[in-house]
Amino acid sequence: MHIPDAFIPIGQAIVYWVVALIFIALALRWARTDLNEDKIPLVAVLAAGIFALQAFNLPIAMGTSGHLVGGALCAIVLGSPYAAVFILTLVLIIQGFIFGDGGITVMGANIINMGVISGFVGFYSYQGLKGAIGSPYAAAGIAAWLACVIAALAASVELFIAGTFPLVPGLIAMGTYHAAIGIIEGAITGIALYLIMTVRPDILEMPTEAVSS
Amino acid sequence: MMEIRQLIIVGVVLSLLIGVTAVFFASGDPDGLESTALFVQGEKTLTGESPEDGDAEAIGAGTFEYEAPMPDYTLGEDAGKPGEVLAVVAGIVIALIGVFAVAKAATAGKA
Repeated sequence: MHIPDAFIPIGQAIVYWVVALIFIALALRWARTDLNEDKIPLVAVLAAGIFALQAFNLPIAMGTSGHLVGGALCAIVLGSPYAAVFILTLVLIIQGFIFGDGGITVMGANIINMGVISGFVGFYSYQGLKGAIGSPYAAAGIAAWLACVIAALAASVELFIAGTFPLVPGLIAMGTYHAAIGIIEGAITGIALYLIMTVRPDILEMPTEAVSS
Repeated sequence: MMEIRQLIIVGVVLSLLIGVTAVFFASGDPDGLESTALFVQGEKTLTGESPEDGDAEAIGAGTFEYEAPMPDYTLGEDAGKPGEVLAVVAGIVIALIGVFAVAKAATAGKA
């Protein structure tokens, strides 16, 4: 889902950067208030894991491949959509500047799609589904699928505004491919949540204020 | 219950295993966005195979060019698979240390 530089004109790319910077500022505020000595290493390991998983393109048929985005996973595990913005922004900076994966001018749009949208949709869908479904892992999986698909649809609208993709074919193709890629997103998110819950259930329920005070 | 230190070691080892496995087993097919770009350019049907030599970025009109030091998670074609392993391991280490450092800096001086 990494948009390359060529796909969005510079004027529009700057607008996405401005919006992204607002969320980055809010994510830094989240980090300052919510992170503590116990959580910082977990955030770093999550970032390393997401970088590794994003490098692993899995075949999804239709001549297409896909990998985890990880925004929903970060937001659910760390209990805030801003955790996704924080981690995905840094991962996208590393991918863009060092590995040429995702553009530089369009990085703001990529941060909005994969950090902000994926984090917020993942987090609030999980909150809503958790009680209704009963299983936190299934809720996390469905929330992550939704986060992947909605972020992809947002990207296709941005690329329509950019004049790169036609609206309806872009939405159909991005929606179709990411509905399939989202199954990978959902499965990995559910499994990762299960593994973390199994080894350290306290991390997910950690009342931050109580720990940091 | 697993200690934080153990959790980190397990997480890092798992990340390295996933990253190195990706070098050898990741799919070479275009991702969802690239496939969509090929589809809207008429180079691919919605559910059909992607062309071997398709250029997903041909549709873009941007003028900005940036040369990344390790393009496409490689150290250049000459370095081959060992170069790709080094690139992905470097990325994992940079993500781990970089995010740790930014998180530390963001919380520095917190009462």
